[in-house]
Amino acid sequence: MKRWTQVVALRVRSLLRRSAVDRDLDKEMQFHLDERSAELIAEGVSADEARRIARREFGSTASIAQQCRETRRVNFLQNLAQDLRYASRNVIKQPMLLVTAASSIALGVGANLVIFGLANGLLLSTPTASDPDRLVHVRTNRGSHASYSAWRDLEASGVMEGLAGHSIAVDMNWRSGDSSISVMPLIVTANFFDVMGIPIAQGRAFTASEAAADRDPRVVVISHGFWVRRLGGDASVLGSTLSLNGQRYTVLGVLPAAMRSLPGYGVSPDLVIPISRAVVSNLDAPRASHVQLIGRLRPDQGSEATRAALNAASTQWAGDDPGRTGFVRLVTPVGGMYQLNEFKEIALFFGMLLVVTALVLAIACANVAGLLLAKSVARRKEIALRLAIGASRARIVQQLLTEGFVLSAAGTVAGVLITAAMARMIARVALPLPIPITFDVAFDSRLALLALSLVVGSTILSALAPALQATRVSLNPGLKQESRTYGHRRFNARGVMVSAQVAVAVLLLVMTVLFLRNLGLANQLEPGFEAGRAIVAEVSFVEGRQGQAGSEAIVAMADRVRALPGVEAAAFSEGLPLTMRYGGNTGTMIRIEGRDGPVRVDYEDNSVGPDYFRAMGIALLRGREFTTADRAVNRTAIVNEEFVRRYLDGLEPIGRTIYHDADPGEIPFEIVGVVANSKYRSIGEDRAAAFYTSFLARTSPQRFAHLIVRSAAPADTMLASVKSEILKADPDAAVVVEPVTAALTFAFLPSRIGAVLVGVMGALGALLAMIGLYGVVSFAVTRRTPEIGIRMALGASHRAIGRLVFIDGAWLVGVGMLAGLAIALVVTRPLSAFLVAQLSTTDLVSFVGPVILLAFTSLIAGWSPTRRALRIQPAETLRSE
Amino acid sequence: MSRPSDLVQGTLDLLILKTLAVEPRHGWGIAKRIRQMSGDVLQVTQGSLYPALHRLEQHGWLKATWVSTDGGRDAKVYALTAAGRKQLAAELESWQRLSSAIQLVVSES
Repeated sequence: MKRWTQVVALRVRSLLRRSAVDRDLDKEMQFHLDERSAELIAEGVSADEARRIARREFGSTASIAQQCRETRRVNFLQNLAQDLRYASRNVIKQPMLLVTAASSIALGVGANLVIFGLANGLLLSTPTASDPDRLVHVRTNRGSHASYSAWRDLEASGVMEGLAGHSIAVDMNWRSGDSSISVMPLIVTANFFDVMGIPIAQGRAFTASEAAADRDPRVVVISHGFWVRRLGGDASVLGSTLSLNGQRYTVLGVLPAAMRSLPGYGVSPDLVIPISRAVVSNLDAPRASHVQLIGRLRPDQGSEATRAALNAASTQWAGDDPGRTGFVRLVTPVGGMYQLNEFKEIALFFGMLLVVTALVLAIACANVAGLLLAKSVARRKEIALRLAIGASRARIVQQLLTEGFVLSAAGTVAGVLITAAMARMIARVALPLPIPITFDVAFDSRLALLALSLVVGSTILSALAPALQATRVSLNPGLKQESRTYGHRRFNARGVMVSAQVAVAVLLLVMTVLFLRNLGLANQLEPGFEAGRAIVAEVSFVEGRQGQAGSEAIVAMADRVRALPGVEAAAFSEGLPLTMRYGGNTGTMIRIEGRDGPVRVDYEDNSVGPDYFRAMGIALLRGREFTTADRAVNRTAIVNEEFVRRYLDGLEPIGRTIYHDADPGEIPFEIVGVVANSKYRSIGEDRAAAFYTSFLARTSPQRFAHLIVRSAAPADTMLASVKSEILKADPDAAVVVEPVTAALTFAFLPSRIGAVLVGVMGALGALLAMIGLYGVVSFAVTRRTPEIGIRMALGASHRAIGRLVFIDGAWLVGVGMLAGLAIALVVTRPLSAFLVAQLSTTDLVSFVGPVILLAFTSLIAGWSPTRRALRIQPAETLRSE
Repeated sequence: MSRPSDLVQGTLDLLILKTLAVEPRHGWGIAKRIRQMSGDVLQVTQGSLYPALHRLEQHGWLKATWVSTDGGRDAKVYALTAAGRKQLAAELESWQRLSSAIQLVVSES
């Protein structure tokens, strides 16, 4: 053990008292020299001669000292500190290098951090709750949501420490001043805050006892965003009341500003309201989907044990509901990676974006590597000298890498600043969605880790190759005045880098053009109805005001609007295609009169009123529209062409009867009309089957409806009058009136977001690659100046010189392009998931476009160096030789 | 930067340790001792001696102290540590194994 204390003491001494150690070494070597001289003098040599001989025998003291130093292991740290100082000095002395390199890396790093930060906030975030690691989603065999009674029973079983439920399925009318606004609250079970332990910024949360559904609770906790945006940050908000669905709710508390909600994905509901019959009318329906269950595991119970225990408890009441055997299917963690499974497409999109941003950073690093290579050529002499006096190659590589590290670190710091600025801008983005989505780019440990690894990665990418190249010098020519190589290799390190850069740029641009084309095509796609002059009013009724049969109120509104001058048609429907509320989608078994056995069908659902197809501009091909006579007693349906083609097997559709297997006792449907195909859920979808039922046949009251108005006058001139007519019928309804084209923004949202994000990244990457190309061609001309001078002196024409310089660049770019196209052909294939059906990933325009664009920009990048080459004065360059 | 040396690295360590087994010496003394004992056959160059001394010291096999010599000058004197003795024994054993093995090979007629 003594040995170790000695070793450690020695190392600490060499680290801390470096100069003392070096002095010792000098003294020791001097002693040796003196002894040797003394010996020689004793042999009869003169004093001067003896010293000279001793020194010659001894060799280079500097080299020995260096070797002795290297035996001390602390060298690495010491060198690192020294290198950092040296590199920082060196970099600061070259502000141009610092600015160009750091800003390149800053852009690349910023892009990575922003995209990852967004994905982190939307997809990987852990909800703001106490001890969120013990929170789990509980899923039943009915899917993600369970009925209120199922929640009550599971909670009463006491298996978990606590079990709560939430849902964002219903919207409420908030009356503010003279108008009503439709808001989507988070409807929660009474014990929600007790179980989750969500922090409250002001006031308090409601407790399980005061918010019990049977007590008809009238309390609400509001989000910070709602408080600031809608209530103007009113200081006296606590204890005040909000009029929701015509009832007064007391504000108990305000949630914190930086809050990640339990539903995740950045969804930030404005209000949190306890579930009750006032909010959810069918609260007692045993099979309804009321709430998504979130429970808190007991500290000593894993998720599998919990699932088993919940199942055991639920079999006790299986008697009254056979659907409850094997009731609890899954118990999975809340937040984090598990969320990715649920929104695979969004996760994939972000994955793709992260690949894109990584490529952008790679291009940026290649630029910096190009700069460093150019610098290292200028420093060749210095490096050769240091190698000659005994520095090891590894040592110099380490030092050059440190310089790359300083540049990368500076760039990353700037990138973090860019990210912070972008985060602020992004936080203000409001998407046209009914529920606020917050884009929260928070600097958490994940982002910090990414930033650190980006520093390391970009250091290696940008500095390793130049460092290895720079230290691969043979000493003699390096030490001479100038090393001039007239031999010229096209695919040297820098050349390969340019080709690689161009290849990546081609790939990025192909993706960019694909997404831009996608946006263009999506905008041109026919939705299958005439959006042009149509207006839509989204009407939300206060619960109970829509009429007992479910449609009186909306019929009255449609009648009023129809009476307005200029109105050609006014019709109501449950859903409006290509919006958030598009109707529904059903997959079920039906029996069709004239066909054997049940048929598996998958169709888009909507219940629509009389005149709907005329108002929407959807062609009626056969039969008739719904009329006021289509009530519940004789159920009628209208289908689209695709439904007929897929399921009717050539049978005559009109008059055909369709039985839904799920409800055998129900009255069957009779098909009374066939309409043209149109788009339902997304603009890029392929042909879908549709099954329309009559809105007037609805038996359950409908809180929400669309009123579609087609007029002779331009849409925006009609908005105010339509709204006022609707409000005359029911002043408490929340009404949003807008042109149908504006309501369809939602449908174009994915393609717009895709085009913007990928477009910005692609353009950034291409720009960086072009800067790199310019640098390389320009540098090559500088190096070949004497050669060009000689060629000119020997009579080469301008044309020949131009060709000489230009062909080099053209080769590098050409090879890069071909490689890029080949890679793009393979890599872009999975992108089809994000593109409209009409656009293939091998789209010709998307591949030819980038090539033309890059060829053109390469011409510009190569132009000025070429011109410089042509202006070379042979006499001058030769004289300087 | 390697420089020509008659000695294999491992052998030099052995020679230094062995030289110091008798008594502590300074660098010059070690070089002289090796030269004398080998009848001027083994010349330890300073370029390999001092890095080797420092390496052995770093391993904890030698311990260095500054002492005044007869001439009144300070010299850095190296002495074997307990770990150094153990290391010497180990190196001696492996050297003997190696040299007898080489002997067997070269003496075969």
